[in-house]
Amino acid sequence: MGHVDRTDKTLPLNEMMFYIRRDARLRERWNTDLEGIAREFGLSRAEYEALRDKDVRRLHEMGVHQYYVPQILRLFYGASMNTNNHPALEAYKLAYPEEAARALAEAEQRERRAGR
Amino acid sequence: MAQIVAAMAMTHSPGLTGWFERAPEEQQKHALRATAEMRERLIAARPDVIVAFSNDHLLNWPINNTPEYTVGIGAEHLGPADWYDEWLGMATKYRIPGHPELARFIVNESVRRRLALAYLRTMEFDDGISVPMHFLNPEGTIPLVPVTMNCTVPPVPTPERSYQVGAILRDVVKAFPGNERVAVVATGGLSHEPGGPRYFWVDEAFDLWFLDLLKRGDHEALLRECTLEKMEEAGSGGTAELNAWVLVMAFTRGPADVLAYMPAVAWRSGTGMVAWNELA
Repeated sequence: MGHVDRTDKTLPLNEMMFYIRRDARLRERWNTDLEGIAREFGLSRAEYEALRDKDVRRLHEMGVHQYYVPQILRLFYGASMNTNNHPALEAYKLAYPEEAARALAEAEQRERRAGR
Repeated sequence: MAQIVAAMAMTHSPGLTGWFERAPEEQQKHALRATAEMRERLIAARPDVIVAFSNDHLLNWPINNTPEYTVGIGAEHLGPADWYDEWLGMATKYRIPGHPELARFIVNESVRRRLALAYLRTMEFDDGISVPMHFLNPEGTIPLVPVTMNCTVPPVPTPERSYQVGAILRDVVKAFPGNERVAVVATGGLSHEPGGPRYFWVDEAFDLWFLDLLKRGDHEALLRECTLEKMEEAGSGGTAELNAWVLVMAFTRGPADVLAYMPAVAWRSGTGMVAWNELA
């Protein structure tokens, strides 16, 4: 099955993200006390470090739901104008360079064909 | 008895409101033209209420307990949720009246038909409802019954299951003891893999194939050919939002009109709009 089936539904980080997105007070602490939040929600050291390092691949590999990963990045980088050049998306280009390059090249080819 | 008066479906990608102008101009034009036509068709159908079906992006329920379906039964809906407003480029909140009588009837009557639906008196709104309402119900004048579904937390339900649920909900809505004219709207899709390794990818071949199945209007053929596995191959955890389209298909008969399709990598989603003519 697909990539989303790699989700570990019991991972504390997956539980935590639900509350982060609904609680402005938790979000205010994101950039100043991430370690404290991680402790309160029972994250492992490895979960905390993957978060801190904004490491897309490690977050995927440990079973973070894929939809939550860009949301985690937006907590660090901001949410507005989430275009393909936003830092959150640049992190994906670093994590999956081949997949990103192929998709963006396809899009460019389509545009070129449409422009003719 | 209530009457189904319109059925349509559209993509709800956040780029459609959050960074619309970053797509090629041609795609922007197609999207505006198609959503305007949807709105015209909706107004012409004179609905008293919209029942909208969309993926819940893990917003209303934590991952340890995600219902298959959730009905918003409140008297008023307020959106988007704070977490989503900046992302969607929606600086001000919208308010849309609910239709608690119909919503509560859907919950209770479905139970009698052995379909369990969760409900929320206060529902939070992500792109799934907010983006389509921005285009189709911008003044919030048409009351809304939002129904969120799980299209992204494993196990993701199959298209067959979505169609079966759609058939039950069609009978339930039509059994509502009122003269309401009801429009059904599916939101989500087409191919995309939000947050996955293929985040930037749009599977144009899959999208055109899926839309062609809708144009053919043979429900059995679509359910036979468009498996969950095919949806997942075309973008894991996102393309299966088309389960909402398959659900609404059960409210219709025959072919759908494809109003637009754009392989919009800038919005990170195959983007499409369809409307059905014949209602079941």
